[in-house]
Amino acid sequence: MSLENPFQDPLRFERRIPECAVVIFGANGDLTKRKLLPALYRLAYERRLSPEFAVLGISRSPMSDSEFRDRMCSSVSEYLEDSPFDKEVWEGFAQSLYYMSGDVMDPGTFSTLASRLKEIEEQRHTSSNVLFYLSTQPSHYEPAAKGIGEAGLGTGKGWRRIVVEKPFGRDLASAWALSDKLHEVFRESDVYRIDHYLGKETVQNILAFRFGNGIFEPLWNRRYVNSVQITAAESIGVEGRGAYYQEAGALRDMIQNHLLQIMATIAMEPSATFQPDAVRDERAKLLRSIRIMKPSEVLENSVAGQYGPARIGGADVAGFRQEPGVDAESQTNTYAAVTFLVDNWRWAGVPFYIRTGKRLPKRVTEIAIQFNSAPHAVFGDNGDGTTPNLLILRIQPEEGISLRFLSKRPGAGMKLRPVSMDFNYGSSFGERSPTAYETLLLDAMVGDATLYTRQDMVEASWAVVEPIMQVWDQNKFDFSNYPAGTWGPKAADEMLARRGHAWRKP
Amino acid sequence: MSLTIHPEAILRELSELWVSLGKEADQDYPSGVLRACTMTLLAVVEESEDTSDVWSVIAALMPEHPSRAIVIRFRQQAGRELSARVFSQCWMPFGYRRQICCEQIEITASDASLPDLPAVIVPLAVSDLPVILWCRGTRLLGLPDFPLLARIAHKLVLDSSAFPDPADILNRLNAHSRSGQVLGDLAWTRLTRWRELVSQIFENRDYVARLPGVAQVRVGFGGDRPPTSAYYLAAWLLDCLEHSGAKAHVSWEPAPDASPGQLARIELIGANGDGSRASIAVAADGERQCAQVQVDSLSSMRLFPPDNDYVLLREELSIPGRDPVYERTLTQAARLASGRKSKP
Repeated sequence: MSLENPFQDPLRFERRIPECAVVIFGANGDLTKRKLLPALYRLAYERRLSPEFAVLGISRSPMSDSEFRDRMCSSVSEYLEDSPFDKEVWEGFAQSLYYMSGDVMDPGTFSTLASRLKEIEEQRHTSSNVLFYLSTQPSHYEPAAKGIGEAGLGTGKGWRRIVVEKPFGRDLASAWALSDKLHEVFRESDVYRIDHYLGKETVQNILAFRFGNGIFEPLWNRRYVNSVQITAAESIGVEGRGAYYQEAGALRDMIQNHLLQIMATIAMEPSATFQPDAVRDERAKLLRSIRIMKPSEVLENSVAGQYGPARIGGADVAGFRQEPGVDAESQTNTYAAVTFLVDNWRWAGVPFYIRTGKRLPKRVTEIAIQFNSAPHAVFGDNGDGTTPNLLILRIQPEEGISLRFLSKRPGAGMKLRPVSMDFNYGSSFGERSPTAYETLLLDAMVGDATLYTRQDMVEASWAVVEPIMQVWDQNKFDFSNYPAGTWGPKAADEMLARRGHAWRKP
Repeated sequence: MSLTIHPEAILRELSELWVSLGKEADQDYPSGVLRACTMTLLAVVEESEDTSDVWSVIAALMPEHPSRAIVIRFRQQAGRELSARVFSQCWMPFGYRRQICCEQIEITASDASLPDLPAVIVPLAVSDLPVILWCRGTRLLGLPDFPLLARIAHKLVLDSSAFPDPADILNRLNAHSRSGQVLGDLAWTRLTRWRELVSQIFENRDYVARLPGVAQVRVGFGGDRPPTSAYYLAAWLLDCLEHSGAKAHVSWEPAPDASPGQLARIELIGANGDGSRASIAVAADGERQCAQVQVDSLSSMRLFPPDNDYVLLREELSIPGRDPVYERTLTQAARLASGRKSKP
């Protein structure tokens, strides 16, 4: 007898989440309040959640179920994005929220967790499906996984999965060690390493754009593409997280994970199917094709930066070293720019310039693909005839795609000027886009790991970034080297100029 | 008013409209006007109907389904008469620098001039994009020359709940569908939330395993006879149950509290002694509808979104091609309605 649901209608129905319990470690933390609970509430609002759904929050603070519900109600109404808060929907959803206090370092927490899960399963019919979400500090990942395993919660009648937030280690060795610990309890296919950038609509749209259309892919190679720039700029500073950021830095915090994943999405080969492992195999293959720099090549192809004090909009802005909790001699990079090369047939010789930084002039994340100029200037020096075609994939704030091409200026003569053809997701499709956490939580509950990072991808990214980190760690930089509110150190401009390129000013 | 219209003249007017919008945009919006189009949306209405309602639905649809919209107002008149006006609708999405504009054409036609319309509409339809025909009047579908207009469209959308005889309209639609016409019925679209809830219940493998034991499907409705939506829902449930090996029969149950034509409740009941039961009951709560879902002892409440023309059309326009589930259900629903009608 088939156990397929005969009532499915994929043409009209949204993807449904099967019955399950979500166990959130760090339920009183910022991520839970700002992102996870608002995303789960939104899924309830959209009627995506099964009636047999439950959330069990765990953190050290003692709290009753009802206090947890009240606290989450305030958080959801405060942090819900582009969406109304509906009291009635909340009341229905709140019934599925439970709480227990416990310390992940205490084995007793996990025996209590086992009995709470059993109770919840009886009350909510969750069929023993459990998604564990580690929304804790990274040092708690290993004890949490160990506790889950020792309490026998890593397996059960239903499925068991675990979601881990970045950082996935601090370097290649610690990434391996973390994976080993997780694998003592969970199979790799049940480990979901979340990279919220991959949950963004536009990043997913890169796949649709590249592989759903026939006209772009033939141009997507070294023959037509001159260079690629990936920019993730933030206008804010460390916002009171100086102590944490001092340990991370821009290279670790952004490039090792988010931006290399974006680069992999841009440059990967088409997968044969849209099955999670087929797509992830291609991403991993691309990451493994990125040329690993020799120590002698690092300073030529990467630039570390740190912002200094400045006046922006009439107000004084502190430099990184002046931020609270930051060492006055800190060598932390708040800006990182790297030139990557990909050693495969498609991309040989095409530079991928990646930069990210804090306190840059604006908040923008975008990918710019610069095509080769026309091989022969038929129109001579008539206007802006040398401007190359540019394809911009904007990830935030205005998600969309722009194509810059040349057109004749109206009037007599043949003078050319660049024009931009824009496609904005927000204005072309009025529908609200789901937040990255809505997409990724839904995927984890459905068991679709396409947008999650696999162990081999994490290792490949660390293998690329680690040599840069090592050289930077051995050097003493003369920080600060860019004033807050500017586009980064001069050395970053020089790095591109050596290859005849210049950074875009998005 | 002229007695006839020329598509070239309308297209020229449209083109001039874009030029003037571009000029205005140069002054007010330096980033210019973005022209977006995914289809031609053709709405046919009675002249007596207030077209501002239709245009407001079309306007609401534009951000998600930008289209060239053509509204044809039909007048019950013997003489052949056609007239047209052209305008555009623009909006500036919040936070964006560029305004989006769509083309709108309004044609007034007498019943007698219906055979002249295809020659006007075909050149006006945007090339290479689907034409969706939204028929709002029950009388219009019955006009002898209506198939000439329907033939232009890739999809015909109507609302069978507005027709007085469910068996008659379901059989007519079934005949249209069998002849190859792609159909969308808003009475079926209204059921998406109901069907989604049913499907959600049976995402649970324990419940799916109990499906072959379902012996009865109860459908509760307002009024003295089942509306088309009741036939659709019963037909869909029977079809799905049959796929899982169940042999169920339908019981029609008037619900005194529900308004005529409204679906009130569905229930799937296991064979005698089994005790399995799953139900969904929907009741109005002000402007919203609350669905109470009950499976054995577990109950939960869901809110149905409002089901106005905008929401329903938005869903139908997202499916420009064939909908095999709908087509299969339509055949079964027509059979159920005819069977019930033929009973004394």
